[in-house]
Amino acid sequence: MRSLTLEGVSFWYPATDSPALRNVSLHVARGEIVALVGALGAGASTLLLVAADLAPRVTGGRLTGSAARHDRSGIVLPTPWTQASGMAFSVWDEVAFGPANLGWPTHEIARQVDRALEQLELAPLASRDPVTLSGGELQRVIIAAILAMDPGLVLLDEPAAELDSDGARTLWRLIRLLAKEGKAVLLATSTLDALPEVADRVVWLEDGAIRAVGPPDLLADVAACDAGLGTSVATVWRTSGLPGPYPLTVAHALRRWR
Amino acid sequence: MLALALVLTLTPGAGSSPGLRPGLVVLRTVLLTAAPFWVFLLVLHDVATTVAIGLRITTMVASFVWLVAALEPARLVEAMVAAGWSASLAYLFGATLSAVPVLKARAQRIVEAQRARGLSARGGIAARLRALRALALPLVLSALHEVDERALALETRGLVPGIRRTPLAPPPDTPVERAARWALLLACLFALFRRVM
Repeated sequence: MRSLTLEGVSFWYPATDSPALRNVSLHVARGEIVALVGALGAGASTLLLVAADLAPRVTGGRLTGSAARHDRSGIVLPTPWTQASGMAFSVWDEVAFGPANLGWPTHEIARQVDRALEQLELAPLASRDPVTLSGGELQRVIIAAILAMDPGLVLLDEPAAELDSDGARTLWRLIRLLAKEGKAVLLATSTLDALPEVADRVVWLEDGAIRAVGPPDLLADVAACDAGLGTSVATVWRTSGLPGPYPLTVAHALRRWR
Repeated sequence: MLALALVLTLTPGAGSSPGLRPGLVVLRTVLLTAAPFWVFLLVLHDVATTVAIGLRITTMVASFVWLVAALEPARLVEAMVAAGWSASLAYLFGATLSAVPVLKARAQRIVEAQRARGLSARGGIAARLRALRALALPLVLSALHEVDERALALETRGLVPGIRRTPLAPPPDTPVERAARWALLLACLFALFRRVM
């Protein structure tokens, strides 16, 4: 069952001549995790904004092709400090901001907020003032705030950018859990090492167009490594002059050695 | 009215600043904001007119500063939503009131970053003016840039026109407070009527 279907989507930001997305066709099924990778400016963030129905509706610009969303979406943007509501005394209130805007009854809001706080290991911070949090803590709060709205389609733009390694590991585990619950996850990330364990499919974007789609093995492809999109292990393998296809992870590399 | 505003301004708990009583911080802000108006009025008018207009301006400034200092924007939003106002409109009021501390915090970060790069805000008037110019541009530009991202973030968090937001913790609204509000409104209308007639 599809959660998002994009057919031949091209998108131009206002007052620009060249499109940020070119003829992109992509579908994301419920329970699937799709990762968008590419160089800076490849179009991953724009693709997420289109998927969230924010571009062109809020950003302005022009879209051709069709974008069908079959579930309510929630998007986490890369800068947590611009996503805080500024209207909350505590982390709990911050996470409850979205559910309250949906008009849910208070008991349902409380259930979803408590669950999201547990999922992001934020329960001990529930009474803290959001302005006193570190960047990583605030990023987790924003992710919890989106999950508390129970979106069927979860869109994440560089979700691990502000997190330390423990926080990132928790996040990747949570993303797998969300997929198991049946949510569709579309994420743009430059943390490529996590993708072999997390993503079901990888979409390689280049200059606004899809260059390749495939399993995470795509990140061990010679061309992907040449474009700087290999995992750390694949990149080391390539730099050492060893022959391709490159191993994705340390476990893969060990198997190759033996 | 001015006396009332100043008394309210001195109310403890209206703001916070290390080393100064909160009320005094608000009073200082009021006086610093109103002072330029008094100077201009004195240049343009006689003493009697200056005092008459200056007191009105000071009253307005004192009322606004006291409101900003004493009112928690989140509490205002909750109260407005509970009273049946549109959530978007309530957020507009709340965001306006919360803009002052947000911009202050950002200005502090910019000043610290500029200090780290060797730009000092200390010294004579010329040095301070240079520092002010160096602060104003990034402050305004970053605020404008943030507007786009904040609009996207609020949209995705459900703050769209026409929603019926659930009040999470509406402040208690006692019959006495309701009566006081109506009395103040009637007093304003009566004053306006007397002024016009």
